[in-house]
Amino acid sequence: MDIKQDVGNVFPWDGTLTSSDFFRAAHMFSDKWRRFNTSVPPWLWVEGYLSLEKMSLFKSSEEKQDAGSLISKEERNMLENEEPFDCASLGPESDYQEINHYDFHVVYSASYKVPVLYFRAYHCDGQPLLLSEIEKGLPGLSVKLLSESKWTFITQEEHPYLNRPWYKLHPCGTCEWMKLLFSTHKSLTTNGSTIEHYLISWFSVVGQVFGLKIPLEMLNCS
Amino acid sequence: MATDSPGSVRKVVVLLRATGDAPILKQAKFKIAGTDKFAKVIDFLRRQLHRDTLFVYVNSAFSPNPDESVIDLYKNFGIDGKLVVNYACSMAWG
Repeated sequence: MDIKQDVGNVFPWDGTLTSSDFFRAAHMFSDKWRRFNTSVPPWLWVEGYLSLEKMSLFKSSEEKQDAGSLISKEERNMLENEEPFDCASLGPESDYQEINHYDFHVVYSASYKVPVLYFRAYHCDGQPLLLSEIEKGLPGLSVKLLSESKWTFITQEEHPYLNRPWYKLHPCGTCEWMKLLFSTHKSLTTNGSTIEHYLISWFSVVGQVFGLKIPLEMLNCS
Repeated sequence: MATDSPGSVRKVVVLLRATGDAPILKQAKFKIAGTDKFAKVIDFLRRQLHRDTLFVYVNSAFSPNPDESVIDLYKNFGIDGKLVVNYACSMAWG
């Protein structure tokens, strides 16, 4: 058992990770994701952070309160093989399903010692989405929760690696709710499997902002 | 045990557990149809506690998506015949 840099050694655990813990957690997370999430893009490690790009979030304008569903690769291929998709030609009266594309990066914050989700979104024609447009596409309660709860909120900042403005979910509350998440499962923090579970638990929360689901199979330990 | 009467919808026993400074519910245990979504449990909690900003999670350090069906959650996280759903309130500003 790995004890040296293991978060299981910090007791009581404060919800944070060292950057080397994050490196290991990120690789474990992306491996599991790839195994159980075959119909969506994989997470790739890109010189310091995890990247998942061109995720299509497919939301019916009529069922705003439902979680946005991920369209499968097959569906996406079908769409791509059809006639060129002219977003402008679909009228608002029809069951217009907006397809927005998201890029997600998971970057370690050395100051908060937790992962941070950076994201940007764009229309199917490549036009970047403003935050107000992004918020319109989020599942029902997300926007309200983001403004009222202190577990996170959206800010715009320069991406620490790419030097371009991206949106991010602010990490100030992360260690608190990570502590809470792990509090009912003491064995997870004391036997060192925190690293293995950390990003799955973390993503189960932040993914909900965008209506994303973690497949339950990912939780069954390897 | 999740009851399994023939011809009827399988129900799941849910136990709501207050954590942190969240108020404890008088009625914390109830049965819900397995086919219902987790959103129904969350909405119930919100109405009972008169709060929208709840942090809801289950025992394996996991916060289920509201779109998950209760029976799937019970199969993955159920212990001793029930699904324990933890909730905390201390996530609100001010």
